[in-house]
Amino acid sequence: MTNPPMTDTQMTILSGAMDRLVPPIDDLPGAGAMGLAPEVDSLARRHAPYHHAVVIFIEKLASTWSAGLLPAQQDALLRDLEAADGAAFNAVLELVYLAYYSEPRVHRRVGWRGGPLQPEGFPLAPFDPAILQATRQRKPFWRQT
Amino acid sequence: MAHDLADILIIGAGASGAAVAWRLSDAGLRIVCLEQGRWHKPGEYSTSFPDWEFRGATSFSFNPNVRALPEDYPVDDTGSDVTPLMFNAVGGSTVHWTAHAPRFHPSDFRVRSQDGVADDWPLSYFDLEPYYDLNDQWMGCSGTAGDPANPPRAPRPMPSLPLGPDGERLARGFDSLGWHWWPSDSYINSVPYRGRAACNNCGPNGLGCTVQAKASTDVTYWPAAIANGVELRTKARVFEVTTDATTGRATGARYFDADGNVQFQPARVVVVATNGIGTPRLLLLSKSERHPNGLANSSGLLGRNLMFHPCAAITGFFSDGLDPTYRGPLGNILLSQEFYETDSARGFVRGYTFQMNRSTGPARTAMGFTMAPVAWGERHHADFAMRFGNSTTVIALGEDLPEEHNRVELSESLTDSNGIAAPKVSYRLSENSARMMAHACRQAETVLDAAGAHTVKATVQLRPSGWHLMGTARMGDDPRRSVVDHSCRAHDVDNLYVVDGSVFVTGASVNPTPTLQAIALRAADHIRKAHNR
Ligand SMILES: Cc1cc2nc3c(=O)[nH]c(=O)nc-3n(C[C@H](O)[C@H](O)[C@H](O)COP(=O)(O)OP(=O)(O)OC[C@H]3O[C@@H](n4cnc5c(N)ncnc54)[C@H](O)[C@@H]3O)c2cc1C
Ligand code: SF4
Repeated sequence: MTNPPMTDTQMTILSGAMDRLVPPIDDLPGAGAMGLAPEVDSLARRHAPYHHAVVIFIEKLASTWSAGLLPAQQDALLRDLEAADGAAFNAVLELVYLAYYSEPRVHRRVGWRGGPLQPEGFPLAPFDPAILQATRQRKPFWRQT
Repeated sequence: MAHDLADILIIGAGASGAAVAWRLSDAGLRIVCLEQGRWHKPGEYSTSFPDWEFRGATSFSFNPNVRALPEDYPVDDTGSDVTPLMFNAVGGSTVHWTAHAPRFHPSDFRVRSQDGVADDWPLSYFDLEPYYDLNDQWMGCSGTAGDPANPPRAPRPMPSLPLGPDGERLARGFDSLGWHWWPSDSYINSVPYRGRAACNNCGPNGLGCTVQAKASTDVTYWPAAIANGVELRTKARVFEVTTDATTGRATGARYFDADGNVQFQPARVVVVATNGIGTPRLLLLSKSERHPNGLANSSGLLGRNLMFHPCAAITGFFSDGLDPTYRGPLGNILLSQEFYETDSARGFVRGYTFQMNRSTGPARTAMGFTMAPVAWGERHHADFAMRFGNSTTVIALGEDLPEEHNRVELSESLTDSNGIAAPKVSYRLSENSARMMAHACRQAETVLDAAGAHTVKATVQLRPSGWHLMGTARMGDDPRRSVVDHSCRAHDVDNLYVVDGSVFVTGASVNPTPTLQAIALRAADHIRKAHNR
């Protein structure tokens, strides 16, 4: 983790953009208002290409982004950035999704158990060969050589 | 520094290197294997951690360029329609693989005779059959014998994995159309097997299996080979297979150890098992006065004829309230070989297999996985809800015909962490493949409709699908048209063998690993015979 954490200003821009990327739903606020920008920052600092993308993303929004803009204006800025620098935009979108969908409140809403997948796994009924009844009636059809 | 002479030096400890090491390990030979990666403890795999989806996207990504770990070498894929994927560790790419274990068909070895394209192999399905069976035992195969699309095969060591409600739904879709389907042969334990646990259906088995239910060679062949005395040296990156200037024969290999020091391992026989990209890279790096175009490259075909398998992903979305579709191994449910063989009415030659893939965790679902990412903005939550736990993907894996312009060369600008030239991959999908995938998308839509999907979306060519690396040191009887012979011995160097997917003449339309492991086991028997053991 050699990269420094974001400044407050950077965090405010990122958080505002996150609210547009993943807006509120039911009783959950948008991804920014949920307080997930620091999590995005900390994930980004674990993987250099992500960090690089976040820096570009914020740099490119910095001169035009304002909390006072209408949501539609903010969306237009994001769409422009997506068109101009798809790689950085998509990387930040991935990070935002990674942070948002790791959040227990979101897990509860979408019905995901959360935590590591192991050692619990999931139950499934064993294979029942009866389902092969139709296919078994077919004669061997592999091509002879 | 030089080490004691080895009878056999194996380079690469993945799927094929492990199989050769084990098969030779009771022959009383001194065997050394050099592997650039390290051992991974199953507890280190992503699925043991709450942030498994982040790890899967970064330090445990399928893509070596994304992981960028010191043991990975970068791959210049800017000139390729497909992103090559691999893992560099003991177990090789089987640490990451999904362990779907179909076999080639007899016709796959006779493509030229039957369809007038590509070349026939210098061996047949039936030459490999005993080795397929042996490999099934050692890797541990769950499945059901009796598939009418394939020659009869021995009873599978374990019953098939659960189909799950999603698998059953798709199976009934195939049945309703009268199309073939069969539960997949999988190197995943459906019941405890040889000291390894049964699969508990956690899902993303492409990220390493913590409970060792999935066979990767670090938990199958390697423990047995090491118990028999094979020495496996990790963090050993080979940059040259050395040769005798007079005879041209292989003398061993030079490599960087973990501290960056150059070491030399002399050997009587060298076996290269560094996969369809690593092998041409290493042999091209090993050029000398005697072998000016790279080692074993008098044909000029080393690195050429790279095949990946064209791959389309067609996803059906369901709203019938069945169990969530992320339960169970990602890609080991069922396959259909209804469209496997050539039918000239379809407008392309050869064919494809359908394989069912499950969905995955919430962040990976949102990131897209086999589709574009979930929409951002106002449509986000509706798009996510349509996909998450409600979608099933049919993967169409097509036969990729060998074309010389699809190739691996050495990069002039990119290097690995030891400063060794990285491979550069040039690959373009052929017209035949494009027509095949278009056909596959239409048929997949039909079956997903029949299974009750309310919406179907297709990714006609999945770019990050370079799982299968084949053809770059092809086998054949004619030294002018091939790099190795039917026993995997290099035509130009009689004590050099290549045993990985590089030796494939054609790629069939199934996953390659059981076939390349069967070939490696067979090559081991030839090496043994050459040593009178
Ligand atoms: C995500 C994923 C899913 C897959 N799913 C399936 C599947 O379901 N079914 C299937 O059949 N196949 C699947 N595959 C493909 C399968 O993993 C490969 O076919 C198989 O592992 C290839 O075996 P190999 O021995 O040729 O190479 P690998 O297993 O890749 O091993 C090569 C080894 O050589 C080492 N190496 C390379 N260069 C050097 C060097 N210079 N010095 C020292 N060591 C070196 C590497 O570190 C590596 O460990 C999948 C692959 C991936 C990535
Ligand atoms: S789904 Fe099964 S085989 Fe795959 S990682 Fe989970 S337990 Fe292992």
